[in-house]
Amino acid sequence: MPGENQKEYIFHVHGMHCAACTLLIEETFKEFPNVTNVQASLPNHQVAITGNFSEPPELIAEKLTGLVKGHGYTVSLEKAQKAAGWEDFVYALPIALVIMAGFLALQKMGLTNLITSSDVSYGTAFVLGLIASVSTCLAVVGGLVLSLSAISAKEGGTWRTQTLFHAGRLSGFFVLGGAVGVVGNSLHLGLTANIVLGIIVALVMLILGINLLDVFHFTKRLQFTLPKIFSRHVVRGSRHDHYLAPALVGIGTFFLPCGFTQSMQLYALSTGNFMQGALTMFVFALGTLPVLALLSFGSLNIAHKPWKGIFFKTAGIIVIALALLNLFNALATAGIINPLFNF
Amino acid sequence: MNRAVLISVCISALLIFGAFWFTSRPASVDNETAVSVVDGKQIVDITAKGGYSPRVILAKAGVPTTLRVNTKGTFDCSASLVIPKLQYQKFLSPTGTEEIPISAEEAQGTMQGLCSMGMYNFQIKFQ
Repeated sequence: MPGENQKEYIFHVHGMHCAACTLLIEETFKEFPNVTNVQASLPNHQVAITGNFSEPPELIAEKLTGLVKGHGYTVSLEKAQKAAGWEDFVYALPIALVIMAGFLALQKMGLTNLITSSDVSYGTAFVLGLIASVSTCLAVVGGLVLSLSAISAKEGGTWRTQTLFHAGRLSGFFVLGGAVGVVGNSLHLGLTANIVLGIIVALVMLILGINLLDVFHFTKRLQFTLPKIFSRHVVRGSRHDHYLAPALVGIGTFFLPCGFTQSMQLYALSTGNFMQGALTMFVFALGTLPVLALLSFGSLNIAHKPWKGIFFKTAGIIVIALALLNLFNALATAGIINPLFNF
Repeated sequence: MNRAVLISVCISALLIFGAFWFTSRPASVDNETAVSVVDGKQIVDITAKGGYSPRVILAKAGVPTTLRVNTKGTFDCSASLVIPKLQYQKFLSPTGTEEIPISAEEAQGTMQGLCSMGMYNFQIKFQ
């Protein structure tokens, strides 16, 4: 008779960070003897298991851990104690500020004056890409890349995630650049859309940055994860790697507000030709690749170093600062506040 | 440990103040070349490349004005010009001159112009 000895236990699952993880956990635990129902909750990092159990919960937790240990999860009764790692800030804060001061100094050097020609060849497009990747665009595109790769590295993402992002970005610039060339209608957005997008990007970065600091818990609920329906295809593959999301984000960077990108889009538009538009945008994106790749593969590398705590907090501070900068800039462009900074 | 915290806080405070001083110090006012009057019309010249120059311009209020924005190999954000007061937004061509008419009624107070990402800005003070 089911229902006779039905018990529900709630366990804490350490290492469950993505929608695909909850699926994997649910499907694995359903095969556990006497289990009738499994419900995993991502924001709480918990799994509720109902069934006819005779063993004490400690033993069940141990057995469940045995099932998923190979995937990197541990099941426990108690919520794992979490150290906020405040002492990391002693190093993280000055490091973050030095990097930001360096960024400011870089802007004051007048890199844009390096461009003297007024017509765009593929060579100029490449140089423009190189300059764009260390210019004020770094605050938007670079900040987003840094936050996403650091978060991804932190949650066990591999080089595959990062590579897919860059592949998505390069191919997205190629295809969309060609499309702009053919359609002859610029894909770049109007002022209001630009401001709204700027604010959205700033808020996303703000949440990612706070997540990277790993001090507050409330933002975990705001974590950006794909709905389960998308992850279902992935769950059989590798546990932590999403395939679609990083590539889509990479393609989406085409629309991020960045003066250089928009100049290139306008040029691609004026070519009226698929190949020329596509190649211009592709070469431009190629120019931005070294710095962006350094950011993403750098964070991946550091995520396995002993001082990774300091790195994540440094990245968090930088991302939050850039997010606020983008937010103030978007509000200034909307005419709501006076500009606070001038680069 | 306490000493490390102290050093950390000092360096941080120094850097923050330095950065604010760096980005918000008053801009130079250059009127000699920026403002001219031709046939009773006021003309304001601004160069857009890696920012706007001059950054602060003093002009006469209540006079029909033409704002001329000159670009020269400008591919950065300053080509994407926004003037919130005029509800003006245009992506300027990399090299050329853009003429923006400002009517006598609009030529009042402080007019703020910036690039669409908000990184660079300039002010025309009508007085």
